[in-house]
Amino acid sequence: MTVARRFFTQEWSALAVAIAIGLATLSALSPAFLTEYNLYVVLRSFCVVLVVAFAQMLTLAVGQLNLAVGALGGLVAIAVGGMMEKLGLPTGVAVFVGLAIGVAGGVLNGLLTVRTGINGFIVTLATASVFTGINLGVTESIPFYNLPPDFVAFGVKRFFAVPYLLIPPVIAALLLALFLARTVPGRYLLAVGGNPHAAELSGIPRDRIVVLAHALSGLLSAVGAILAEAQLGSAQPTIGADWLVISFAAPIIGGAALTGGHVSVAATALAVVLVVLIQNGMVLAKVDPYWVQFLLGALILSAVGLNRFRAIRIERA
Amino acid sequence: MIASVDMGSSFRLKAWLAEQSNAIGLAGIVLLFWIVFASLAPGFISPFNLFAMSRTLAIDTVIGFSTMVVLATGGMNLAIGAIGVCSVMFAGYLMQVLSLPGPVALAGGLALGSLLGWINGFAIVRTGVNSFIITLASASLFNGGMLILTKAVIFNGLPPTIAEFGRMRWDVVSPLLLVALLIGSALIVLFRLTALGREILAAGANARAAELSGVPVGRAIVIAHTLSGLLAASAGLMLLSRLGAAMPSVGQDWLLPSFLAPVLGGALLSGGSVSVVGAMIGALLVTTIRSGLLILQVGNFWLQLFLGVMLLLAVLLDRYRAVYAERRSLGRRI
Amino acid sequence: MDLAIEAVGKHFPGVVALDDVSFEIRPGEIHALMGENGAGKSTLIKIITGLYQPDGGRLLIDNKESRFASPRDAIGAGVSAVHQERNLIPRFSVGENIMLENLPTRRRLVDYEAVHAQARRFLDLIDPSIDTRAEVRRLSVAQMQIVEIAKALSLEAGVLLLDEPTASITDHEAQALFAVLRHLRSEGKAIVFVSHKLEEVIALSDRVTVLRDGKVAAAGEPIARMSRSRIVSAMIGREERTAEIGARNAVGGVPALEVSGLTTSLGHREVSFTLRQGEILGLYGLVGSGRTELARALMGDARILAGEIRLRGEPIFVTDTPTAIRRYRMGYVSEDRKSEGLILADSIRANIAITVWRSIASGLGLLTRRAEERVAEPLARRLDIRTPSLDQQVGKLSGGNQQKVSIAKWLAAGVDILIIDEPTVGIDIKTKAAIHELIAEITRGGVSVLLISSDMPEMITLADRILIMRDFVLVGEIENERRYETMSRRIMGFIHGEIDMVDAKGQAEANHG
Repeated sequence: MTVARRFFTQEWSALAVAIAIGLATLSALSPAFLTEYNLYVVLRSFCVVLVVAFAQMLTLAVGQLNLAVGALGGLVAIAVGGMMEKLGLPTGVAVFVGLAIGVAGGVLNGLLTVRTGINGFIVTLATASVFTGINLGVTESIPFYNLPPDFVAFGVKRFFAVPYLLIPPVIAALLLALFLARTVPGRYLLAVGGNPHAAELSGIPRDRIVVLAHALSGLLSAVGAILAEAQLGSAQPTIGADWLVISFAAPIIGGAALTGGHVSVAATALAVVLVVLIQNGMVLAKVDPYWVQFLLGALILSAVGLNRFRAIRIERA
Repeated sequence: MIASVDMGSSFRLKAWLAEQSNAIGLAGIVLLFWIVFASLAPGFISPFNLFAMSRTLAIDTVIGFSTMVVLATGGMNLAIGAIGVCSVMFAGYLMQVLSLPGPVALAGGLALGSLLGWINGFAIVRTGVNSFIITLASASLFNGGMLILTKAVIFNGLPPTIAEFGRMRWDVVSPLLLVALLIGSALIVLFRLTALGREILAAGANARAAELSGVPVGRAIVIAHTLSGLLAASAGLMLLSRLGAAMPSVGQDWLLPSFLAPVLGGALLSGGSVSVVGAMIGALLVTTIRSGLLILQVGNFWLQLFLGVMLLLAVLLDRYRAVYAERRSLGRRI
Repeated sequence: MDLAIEAVGKHFPGVVALDDVSFEIRPGEIHALMGENGAGKSTLIKIITGLYQPDGGRLLIDNKESRFASPRDAIGAGVSAVHQERNLIPRFSVGENIMLENLPTRRRLVDYEAVHAQARRFLDLIDPSIDTRAEVRRLSVAQMQIVEIAKALSLEAGVLLLDEPTASITDHEAQALFAVLRHLRSEGKAIVFVSHKLEEVIALSDRVTVLRDGKVAAAGEPIARMSRSRIVSAMIGREERTAEIGARNAVGGVPALEVSGLTTSLGHREVSFTLRQGEILGLYGLVGSGRTELARALMGDARILAGEIRLRGEPIFVTDTPTAIRRYRMGYVSEDRKSEGLILADSIRANIAITVWRSIASGLGLLTRRAEERVAEPLARRLDIRTPSLDQQVGKLSGGNQQKVSIAKWLAAGVDILIIDEPTVGIDIKTKAAIHELIAEITRGGVSVLLISSDMPEMITLADRILIMRDFVLVGEIENERRYETMSRRIMGFIHGEIDMVDAKGQAEANHG
C-alpha cells in the first residue's frame, strides 16, 4: 500500500484533512494566528482538554459513560490547591496526593458500577454530585489563590511557542497509546468493551477491568485538574464544570464506538486539535464565544451521523 | 383455567398494593423528614415556607415528568435544561421585544419546546444512536444557539401579569402546584389508559418484541421526546412566572433532580415502567430536603452531596427490588 | 484429565433444564453428546465451562470435587470450549482473538509477532486461507466458526468441548477438524462433541451420551453398541414419533402466499415457494440455514433485493413490520419468545392484546383494561393458559404457557398468515402436544401457517408439505407422507446434499401428474 492509500484508510484521515484546511484558512484570514504567542495560547488550551478527553475515552472504551470527569477534576483541583496553600505541603506531595484522590474517585465509580450492576451513567451522575458537593462544601466557592510560585511558573513557562504544560499531556498520550495497543491489561480493556461476554468466556476478569478503566479515568481527571490549576495559577472550585461536553465530543468525533471496544488515541487527539483550533479561530475573529458551544453540539451530531453512515455501509458490504 | 372473578380481583389487589408499596414507602420517608425538619426548625412549616415549597415542588415535579416520559422509553434526555431555557427566552423575547400578549408568548414557548424535543426524538430514531449522546449534543447545540441569538440578556420587562401569577397565593399553596397536578393527571391517563402511552411503555420494556407485535416503536419514541420537550418548556415557563423575568441561567441545574424524582418514584432505568404518583412523591422528597437544608442553613453545597447519595441509594434500592422479585419467582412454576 | 459431573440439576424460572444428570469424560476419547433442541445439551456445556453454576450435584476433576465459579476457573482447570454462538471480539484481529486467553508477551508488552505466528499454527490445522491479521468483524460466519475452533485448540486444554462446531462450515473444513480431533485424541485429550448430525457422531465418536428433556437417556454408551435407530429412539423416547393431530382438511389449492425469486439483503438467493390456504408448510433446516432470516424478510425486517411476493394473487410490498401486520394480516411467532415474542414484565392480558391496541382503543384513544380483557380472556380460555389471573406477569409462566401467550396474540390480531418459528423449544412433552394440536386447529380455521422447525418429529407430525433450506437457498420441497423413518431420511438427504432439488421436483411431478 502506498503511503497515500494508507493515509486515507485511517479513520482519522478526514479529521487530519479538516485540520489542515482549518490551519490554512486561519493563517490566511488572520495574521495574528501564526504568531508565536498565539500558537502558545493554542497549545496551552490544548493541554487540559486533551487529558480530559482521554479520561472519558477510557471509560467509553469499556462501554461506559462517565459523568463525573469534571466533578472529580474539580475536587482534585481544590484538594491539591488546599494542600499547598493551607497545609503548606510541598508541590510534589500535593500533586501525588491529588493523583491518588483521582484514582480513588475512579475506583469508587468502578466498584459501584460493577458491584451493583447499575448503569455507569447513573452511578457517575450521582458521584458527580457527591464530588461537587464535597468540593463546594470545603471551599465554599472561594478559590485558593496562594499557590507555590514554582507551580504557577510551570503553568506559564515556555520554550518559544511550546508551553512546559504540554509535556504531561503528550507523555500521557504516548503512554495511553502504548497501553491500549501493546499491553495485556490494555488489550483486555478493549476486549471487554468490544464484546463483554466473549471477553468473560476467554477468562478475562471483566469486573476488575471495568474498575481499572474507571481508575485510570479518575487518574486522568486528576492530571487534567492539576494542569488546569497550573494554567490558571489558582485552584478554582469551578475547574471541571465545563468538561462534560468536550470530554465526550473529542472521543466521539475521533470515531469512538459508543458501545465500547474501539477508541483511538490519535483520532481523539486530532479531534481535540480541531476543537481548540475552532475556539482559537473564534477568538481571533472576535466571534461570539457562544458559537463554540453551538458548534460543539453540531460537531458531535455530525460525527455520530457519519459514524453511523459508515457502520451501515460496512454492514451492507 | 381462568379462576373465578373473586380470585382474580384479590390477585389484582395484591398486585396493585405491591406496585404502590414503593410510593407508600416514599411517602413515609417524606413524612419522616417533615417531622425532623419541623422539630429542628419551626420555620419549616410556616405558611410562607410552605408556599415557597409548593412553588418549587410544582416546578421540580414537572422537570421530573420531563425526564420520566423519556425514561419510559428506556432512554434519557440530557437536553431538558437547554430546552427549558430556550423556551423561556423565546417567550421572554416574544413578550418584551415583539410585545405579544402573554398567552401567545407562552404558547410560543411551549411550541418551541415541543419542536426541540421532536428534533431529539427524530435524530435518535433516524440515526439509531444512543439518546445520551444525541441529547448531550443537542443540549450544547440548543444552549449555544440560544446564547448566540439572545446574547445572554435578561428579559425583565415582561407584562406584570406573569410575575403576578407566580406570586399568587392560595393560603399556603401556589396555583403553580395545581398546574403540576393537572399535568400529572394527564400523564396518568396517558400511561394507563391510552394506546399511545402503552406503546411508549412497550417500546421501553422491549422494543424488539413491541416492534414485532406491530407497535410503531419509532413513532412512540419520537412522541415521547416531543412530550419531554413540551414538559421541559412547561417547567421553564412556570419558573419564568416565579422569577418574573426570562434568564439564560434557567435549566443549568435540572439534570440531577430530573432523574431523582422519577427514579425514587420507581421508574426503571431500563425503560417500560414509570410511576407518575411515585415521581410526584419523589419530587416532594427532593423539595423537602432542599427546603429543609436551606432553613437549617446547612448550606446549599451540602445539598449536592445529599442529592447524589440519594440517587445512588434510590438506584440501589431499585436493583435490590428487582433481584428480590426475581429470586421470589424462581421455583414458582405455573 | 478425567472430568465428571454427578447428579447435577439446573433450573430456570419456569423450566427444569437438567435433572439428575451424570456425565463423565475420559482422557483419550471423543465423547458425543446428543439430544433434541431443548434437551439440555447447551446447559450442560455451560455448567462444565463455568458459565452456569449447577443447582445441585457435583463436579469432579480427576475424582476430586471442584467448583467452576467462572469461565476463568474452567480455563484454568484445562477446559476449553467452542460454544454455539460466536464469541469473538469484533475489532480485534483473528490472531489476537485466537490467542486472547494467553497473549504472548515480551518485556511486558504484547508480542504481536508471536501472536500471529502461534495463531497461524492453530489456524493452519483447519483452514490456512484465513489471514490472522484480518479484523474478525469482516469475516464470514463460517470463517468465524473456524477461528473459534482454532481459539479453543490454542488452549491445548485437557478437555475440549465443541457445541455444534460444524453448523456453519463446509464438509471439507469439517473433515480437517475431525482429523485434528482424532490427533488430539491420540495425544490423550478428552473431547466432548455436541452434534445432532448422526453421521458425524457415528463416524467420529467413541462413546455417546443422549439427553432427553433434561435427563440422561443413554449414558456414555460405546458407539459400537449404538445403532442409528437406538440413538434416535433415545433422543425421542420411542420408535415412531408421529403423533395424530386430528384430520387435516383436504387442503385447497388456493395460494395464500406466493414467493418467487426472492433475494434478500440477508443473503437469500432466488427463494420460491407457495403457501396454500389452510396449509401447514414446513420449512426445515439446520441452525444458520437462513429460515428465521426468511421470516424476518417476509415480515419487513430486511431489504428485498429481487423477486416478488404475492398475497392472494396481489403483489405486496412489505416495508416494515407494522405494515405486514396491519395491512397484510401476517404474523410472526418468534423463535426467541423471551426476548422477541413477549414483554416479560407485562401481564398476560397486555401481551395478548398488544397486537390490537390501536383497534380496541376508543375514539378518544382510550384503552381500558376491560377492552383488553374482552380480547384476551376468550383466547386464554381457548388455549388453556393456566394462570390465576390475566394480570399475572408473563415472565413468571412456564415455557409452554408463555408460548401459548405468544401465539394467542396473533389470534387476537386475526391474521391470515402466521409464520411460526421453533414453537416448542424448551417445552415439556405434554404442552408440546397441546401446541401442535393448537397449530393444527388454527389452520382448520383458515389460517395458513409457515412452520419453521429443526425438530424432525414435530415437522413430520404437523407439516403438509416440507421445504428444506440450506445456506439461505431452498434445496428441496416434498409432500409429507408422515412416515417418520422415510421422511426423516429424505429430509436429511436434502440437507447433506445427497438429493438434488431437480430429482425431488421430478418426484413431485410424477406424484401429481
